Amino acid sequence: MDNEKRKELIGLMKTRLTRPMRYYLDLCTRCGLCYDTCHVFYGIPKKEYSPVGRAEVVRRIFKKYLRPSGKLFPFWGDSKEIDDHSMDELLDAAFSCTACRRCMVHCPFAIDTPFLLGIAKSLLIGNESAPDELSILADGAVEKGKSIDEFKDGFREVIKDLEKEVAVKLGGVPPEGLIPMDKAGADILFVGLSGAHSIVHPAVILNSAGANWTLSWFEAVNFGAFLGDPRKMDFIANRIINEAKALGVKEVVIVECGTAYRIPKYLMGPQPFKVSSIVEVIHRFLSEGKIKLNEKTITDPVTYHDPCQLGRNGGVYEEPREILSALAADFRDMTPNRKYNWCCGGGGGLVALDNEEFRIKSGKAKYDQIVATGAKIVVSACENCIFQLDTIKAGYSMDVEMKSLTELVAENLA
Amino acid sequence: MWDSIYYFVMVPMVYIAFGTLFGGILFKFIVVLRSPKIKGTLAVFPRGPVPKLGALRDSFFIPDAFRKDKVFWFFIIAFHAAFLLLIIGHLELVREFALFQIIPHYVFLGAGWVGVVLIASTLYFLFRRFKSPWREISVPEDYIILLLLFLAFIFGSHMNLASRYGIAGFDIPVQSYREYLSSFFTSTPHVSRGIIASPHYVIVVLHVFFANLFLMLFPFSKMVHSVFMFAAQFIKRK
Repeated sequence: MDNEKRKELIGLMKTRLTRPMRYYLDLCTRCGLCYDTCHVFYGIPKKEYSPVGRAEVVRRIFKKYLRPSGKLFPFWGDSKEIDDHSMDELLDAAFSCTACRRCMVHCPFAIDTPFLLGIAKSLLIGNESAPDELSILADGAVEKGKSIDEFKDGFREVIKDLEKEVAVKLGGVPPEGLIPMDKAGADILFVGLSGAHSIVHPAVILNSAGANWTLSWFEAVNFGAFLGDPRKMDFIANRIINEAKALGVKEVVIVECGTAYRIPKYLMGPQPFKVSSIVEVIHRFLSEGKIKLNEKTITDPVTYHDPCQLGRNGGVYEEPREILSALAADFRDMTPNRKYNWCCGGGGGLVALDNEEFRIKSGKAKYDQIVATGAKIVVSACENCIFQLDTIKAGYSMDVEMKSLTELVAENLA
Repeated sequence: MWDSIYYFVMVPMVYIAFGTLFGGILFKFIVVLRSPKIKGTLAVFPRGPVPKLGALRDSFFIPDAFRKDKVFWFFIIAFHAAFLLLIIGHLELVREFALFQIIPHYVFLGAGWVGVVLIASTLYFLFRRFKSPWREISVPEDYIILLLLFLAFIFGSHMNLASRYGIAGFDIPVQSYREYLSSFFTSTPHVSRGIIASPHYVIVVLHVFFANLFLMLFPFSKMVHSVFMFAAQFIKRK
């Protein structure tokens, strides 16, 4: 690596030095209390996969270039130069982390290691060594935002087919207008994913509740966030925010995708509309009596996996449990759960990478949790989690069924 | 020559140490305050009913550590409680504070025990780092700071304990310390005769030397956790 490139990367590192980042770079005492709190470490017990191990890869480079002690006495904090080896370490640290932030709740200084790894991701992007899969997906989402009009006709055709599916699920009603689009003044802007199921099941629920809603042109998932590129993350999120503002909706409802929920809700600053998860909306519809469920119709034992971005990082804990307790005769919580729940290993864009063997190993904690419940159905409310839970199921030959909460609700409407 | 070295450690170096400590912390604050805020929140849920109180509780009682490792938590609490008494005690060596006499005591509160607790805790922290997995995550800074603290504590404790039990005439009276320490706030800082005349003057010098080094390193090391801990805990709940 030449000096010009190194200077460019140091410049990139400086752009990430926000106020919280300063705290997280300085605070760690390497007490080690976080050491075994990462699900990856649980499955692959190596220092590199401990939260402090990951964070130190970043801190050592930071100290080398932006701390007098690191420049003058590199041995003091074991400072490291930016070179090909350290870039490999950064890649392993950043893209083995699902950004679940379980380490943060165990850290006595509340250090947000995934946030800190934002520096690693910036350096990797600057070095053009970030995972191609995520770069391509993020660029695709940005391009779609820039030229949405070119996509609209094709998308409308797809939606017409989906409306027929929704009509069948609603008992043979006419399909026209069951998935409204571009509806100015709608109460709800629903943002789905690219998979048909992510639109069909919510559409069944929203129509059953008689909601005044419209579907977004965009998919909720934010590959800019997974990639760790703040500008792309903002651009991808702003596509939806601007669409919501243009339509004048009161509420943006995000499909079952934890990151897609957390970004507009908590990471983009205040908005002139409410941001909700589809799980919260289902719960609200049930509370208001707008939809009803066939109660206790599921007799097999059911458990719930808290998606990290929806639960620990989004605060949606009780709604899914109350919905499932209504649906299932035998609901069993995992241990630990809620704030301390183990990540399944699918977040942070990891399911989009070619790393299945790694994800099976890093899913060991979740596998053990599920087995301990004795559940036959595992429900979650995040597309990434469901995908990863299926990988765990295949990897460990589990005799369980993985279901999405929205799907389960749509199938059991009274 | 030794007299000059001793004087440098006991007077100019103390000014340098405190200047570096306060200047360094001020510099850190300026750097932090000039850094951009983020537009959203990095909260973890549930945030608790009163975020600031929750952050204070987490900063002072460290329940996260209690949950994970109760022995470690015990030593953390013991160390920090003793360190607080140590600061109060050193203030009392500058002058009398009526406030600290809420619990009537002779200078200083917890003297003897404070040193024992600090030495025991420091040794625990140090030896913990020789064991896996802490050994793998430790860097030279971690050991050096603990060694500095250990040395400052051991000499400080010696000054206190030896004085109490009258070992080898080591009986520097409180007034001598007060004369020395309060002189830093005058135009004529000096080491009092009572300290210089003591056969254990070298112990005092060593204590001050290691304490000076620690103070100078404080703002540029992981010790700043004590300054920014609350802010980070608050971010978790904000």
